[in-house]
This record gives sequence, C-alpha cells and structure tokens, in this order.
Amino acid sequence: MNNRILQADVRNRGLVLDPRTKLLLLITMAVFVLGGAASSYFPFIVPCLCAVPLVLLILSKKFRSAALYAVVYSAVYAINILLADRLSGILYFLVLGTTGILTRFMPSVMMGIYVVSTTTVSEFTAAMQRMHVTEKIIIPLSVMFRLFPTIADEFSSINAAMRMRGISFGGKNWTKMLEYRLIPLMTCSVQIGSELSAAALTRGLGGEVKRTNVCNIGFHLQDIIAMLLCALPYVGLILGWFGVKLI
Amino acid sequence: MIELNNVCFTYANGSTGALNHVSMKIADGECVLLCGRSGCGKTTITRLINGLIPHYYEGELEGKVSVNGIDTMEVELYETARCVGSVFQNPRSQFFCVDTTSEIAFGCENAGLPEPEILERIHNSAEEIHITDLLGRSIFELSGGEKQKLACASVSAQKPEVFVLDEPTSNLDTDSIEELKKTLLLWKSQGKTIIIAEHRLYWLKEICDRVIYLENGEVTFDMPMQEFKLLSTERISELGLRMLTPELLKSQTNDAQSSDELVLQNFSFFYDKFSALDIPSLALPRGGVIAVIGHNGAGKSTFSRCLCGLEKRFRGNVFMNNKKYNRRGMLRKCYMVMQDVNHQLFCESVQDEVTLGMNEDNADKIDKTLSGLDLNAFTERHPMSLSGGQKQRVAVASAILADKEILIFDEPTSGLDFGNMEQTADLISSLQGEKTVFIVTHDPELIVRCCTHILHLEGGKVAENYPLNSENTVKLTDFFVKRECECG
Repeated sequence: MNNRILQADVRNRGLVLDPRTKLLLLITMAVFVLGGAASSYFPFIVPCLCAVPLVLLILSKKFRSAALYAVVYSAVYAINILLADRLSGILYFLVLGTTGILTRFMPSVMMGIYVVSTTTVSEFTAAMQRMHVTEKIIIPLSVMFRLFPTIADEFSSINAAMRMRGISFGGKNWTKMLEYRLIPLMTCSVQIGSELSAAALTRGLGGEVKRTNVCNIGFHLQDIIAMLLCALPYVGLILGWFGVKLI
Repeated sequence: MIELNNVCFTYANGSTGALNHVSMKIADGECVLLCGRSGCGKTTITRLINGLIPHYYEGELEGKVSVNGIDTMEVELYETARCVGSVFQNPRSQFFCVDTTSEIAFGCENAGLPEPEILERIHNSAEEIHITDLLGRSIFELSGGEKQKLACASVSAQKPEVFVLDEPTSNLDTDSIEELKKTLLLWKSQGKTIIIAEHRLYWLKEICDRVIYLENGEVTFDMPMQEFKLLSTERISELGLRMLTPELLKSQTNDAQSSDELVLQNFSFFYDKFSALDIPSLALPRGGVIAVIGHNGAGKSTFSRCLCGLEKRFRGNVFMNNKKYNRRGMLRKCYMVMQDVNHQLFCESVQDEVTLGMNEDNADKIDKTLSGLDLNAFTERHPMSLSGGQKQRVAVASAILADKEILIFDEPTSGLDFGNMEQTADLISSLQGEKTVFIVTHDPELIVRCCTHILHLEGGKVAENYPLNSENTVKLTDFFVKRECECG
C-alpha cells in the first residue's frame, strides 16, 4: 500500500543512523546534487552521492523504494546519455529537460523519503533538542512529521472516492482532478490538525518544565563514517575555491 | 472533586453545544455518564473539565470550574493536564507520535519526568491494559479498538486523578467496547474519577454510578444509575438516547424479499499471500438492504472495497439483471458512502456535487432526487458547511443520479444519537427496492430498523447468510448479545 511509504517501522529497521547525521546527509545531497555546487571541480562527486540514498535504503530494508529508485534513475540517466544527442529540435529540449530535472531532483527526493520514513517523531524531537533548537521550532516541525503519514492516509481514501465518482485520468473531468482532490484533503487536514493539537495540549505539551525524552539517539560508528563521507565534498569545494585542483 | 458553578458558555464560531447555567458537583471516585442528544453540550462539559475551554476552544464563558481545587480557567492547560487525562472520539487524530511506545511516553516526557521513571510507567500501563504486544509498533497498523486501548494506556501512564472520555466508542465494534469496559473498571477500582460523554449506553450500566442528562445546554435530570436503569424503553427513546439493553431487539415488519437475485462470484482477495476474502459464490436479494456484520478483521472492509471495484488485483464478478460485471463494471455501478463523508465531497455547491459524474439522461431528475432527500433548500450551499447527516444525503443523491445500482454504507451511524440514527435508517429504508444496499455496521439498532437481510462474515468467509424475519431475529440477537454475556 502506498501510504506505508512515509512511516517509520520501529521493529524492523536495519541500520540506524542518528537523525542529525541524516539531516547532514540531506543537506549535503541538496547542496551538491540538487544545487550542483562543486561539480566543476569534482565531476565524480555527483554519481557517488547519488548512490548514497540507494545504499541507505537497502541498509534500512526498504527494498522496494531502493529498487524503484535504482531502475528509474538509471533509465533516465541512460536516456540522457544515449538518446539525447540523437534527437533534435523540440523533442531534444523536452527529453533533455525532463531527464535533467529528474536526475537532479530524484536523489535528493529519495534522500528525503529515506529520512522521513526511518525517523520517528520522538527521535526527531530528541535530535532537535540535542542541537538546542527552540521548542517554538521543534513543535511545529514535529507536528508536520506527524501529519505526513496522516495526509497520505487521507489521500488514499479520497482517491478511492474519486474513482467511484468516475474522476480519473481519461475520464471526462480529469482537468479538475487537482481541485477535487485538494478540497477534501484540506478540509480533512484542517480538522485532523486541530483535533491533534487539542489532544496534544491535554497531554501537557508546551509546559514550562524541560521535556525529557526516552529515545536512545547518539552517534555510532556508522554515523562517523557517514559524516566523514559528507565532509569530503565540502573539503573539495573549499579547496576548489582556493584554486587547488584535485584531478 | 470537580465542581461546575453556574457555567454559561457559547462557542465563538457558533458551533452547537452551548451551556446555559450548568452547575454540578462530582465527588472523587465517582463515575458519571453525561448523555443527551447531539449538540446538547455534553462534549462542552468534558472540554471545560480538561481545560480545552477556554484555553483552546474560544467563546464566551461565565461561571467557575474547578478540578481538585485547581481553577481550570486560571491555570495553563499543561497544569490541568497533570490531573486530568482525556480520551477522545477519533482514534485517527489523538496520537501525537507515530509509534506506540513513544506515544505512551509522550505525556510523561511533557511533564519532564526522569527517563527511568517513564520507562517503568510505559511498562506498567501497557501491562495493566494488556497491550504489551503492541509496544514498538507503528500506530497506523493498529485497528480502531487497539488504538483506543493505546489512548487509554498513554493517558493512564500520566497517572491523572480524573479521566475524561468523549464518545470513546464511536468507532468501535462490540468486542473492542468490552475491552474498553475492562479498562474503565480497572480505573474505577483504583479510585479514579471518570466522566464519560457517550451515545451508546448499554456497556456503561455496570460502570457508571450516576447519569446526568442534558438538553439544550441545561441539566434536565441527574440520577443514580440504579434509577436510570428502571426507565422504560419508550422513555429512553423519547429522551433521544440509545437503548440500554441489546436484548430488546425486535423485528419490525420488513417487507417480503423480491425473488430477483444478485450473485457475487469468485470474491476472493489476498494481501501479500494472506487470504483476506474467500467467497466462491454468493446469492443475495436484489433491491434488499443487507447488513454486513462480523468481528474486526472478518473481511468486511475488504469485501466492500472489492464490491466497489477499488482493489485493482481483484478478479471477481457480479451478476445482476442477467448481466455480468467485472471489476471496472462494479466501479461504475457501485458506490460507497464512507464513514468520513468529507472524503467524498469535492465541489463548491450541492448542485455541482450531485451533477458531477451524473448520467446525462438524469438531468430532469435532479430536483426530484434532491427534494426526496430534503436537500432542495441547500442546492447553493457548500457541501462542507452542511451537517453530518446532510452530507451523507448529498453523497447518496450523487450516487442515485450517477445511476449506481449498489450502495455500500460504511458504519453510517457511528457516533450518532438516537434521532440521527433513525434519520439514517429512514434514508436507507427509502432506497429499499430501488437499489441494493449494503451496510457494514456494528449497530444492532440500525439493523433492526432498516435491514432485510444479514450477511455474516467471519475470517473472510461467509459464516451465515439469511433474510431478517421474525424467526431469524434470534440469530441476530445472539450475535450481538452472546458476547455481552461472555464478558459480562
């Protein structure tokens, strides 16, 4: 079921990274793959980083997401290399555009999915507290974390309702699909959000006492390795600024 | 001790449930049932006690509320939260975490308790409520009953003196209600004060000591449970309340069945090699109102999803009117009125809503259908601004105009009071003969009011399939009452 994607399964999770490490990995991916920094000094860094979400997904036993990512990414990459040069005109731009966007965005998106699907809300709050982020930021962010899977759940119910009403691609009302989907989604999310806040408040959220946390987070060997890996492109980038050429 | 002193309250957004000069005293260790029609103000009272009014729901408030000596209007919510624990109606939206263990820890973490203490409390309250096997799971995998148990455990871990429950059984089947009953009896034996606002009353007979009935925001009567139990059935329904004893099931004369048949064939479905539904062939009366009953996990929801053609890998067929319908055909001919109707209303006005997906030939029937369902006054209103029952009728109107032959209602009366339940029953009865209606429900009162046929599923198979006539009522009563005896 598609709504299982964004939920952390606590019992069967494989390799566990600290949420802070995951955050660093996510930022690194965004800077170097999505942002394209350092690609001029460091041409091989992008493919290496692209493999990171794949490895992490496999290590945390998300085999289906991993396989999907591997297949789609390599297919798009292959099209980009093999096909694009042989085309011309508008088709060339279309293919180049789509493949370009996909190869840039997909690794970071997969990294995002990895982070959300392997981190529980309480681990996330614990990590933020360790970084001394204020509660004013932590609480809304953790509510957001909580809402993702709920919205995915709502979305699948709404989808079913739409199919029973004959609203689907190919149906006569397909141009309005987005609107039809958003109206119930918004009403339901607002309602759930408000009930959720009420429930959280009656359980003492937002008190003056310092919150404790029973989550075991902390840096382990795998975190250190991951962080060292993340450091490499930054070092390369800074060296590049000073004119040192690595290759 | 909880004390409400001459309290008046009106919601700022004008929602129903205003209170008018309400005073009551609830002693420590008492167990009180708040009941009354929808919108009578019982939920408002629970919100006054747990401090959500005035700190979360805004409005005009007069009078004084105190819980164990704390003035809930003066102190902040997190202070009230230490002595009042709340369990809500909707299991979807009362959990802050996504896994069970951190959910139980959540309240204690907020109170800033030391870690070893929290771990011990998680362990203890999970044992008390018998959910040790649920620890460390994702909340989204739990059934409605398990979620409500988890909610109880997480409130229990905070060790409050007062428990407030707002319609905790709206989404539960009879088995889960029995489980909840055990939890409440446990709290009661620990000397906690319990306040429950509820529509379903039968399960509270042995729990509550005192019944407070509200009408239009005023306390009409306040009597001991012993006395309340003696009220006649007629008096109870006059008060707009649900029945006290499920044994009182009576068959109302339901018309003879038509000979026309609807045949379901090859209704089998697997989730990851696990058989969820296995019905080789099944004949049902066409034009009847069929109640689909069974325990949790009996395959009722898989059955309805398959019947609606929503499961892509489903290969079964429906034979109706000498025609064979495959999955795509069923998607065109069947329509489910979901438990949360908000999921299926898409448009800006009722008019647009019912014409979306309409069969063009039905254009002249719009007015007739809308007035038949008492909706003609609302054609220009936004569907989301209607009441729950009206939304349900809009969904039905759109199904009728789209020429749907089979309508499936998923728990249409969960959380409804007597009056609204009767209205839904009337709505469904009015469809009898025109459409084939399936009702997936745990509500015996609804079944005796409008169903003509019973389909009992168990373990994905048909356990029983019989018309509901006076002989067979006993069988139905057995299904709902037997388990009452087992646990009671």
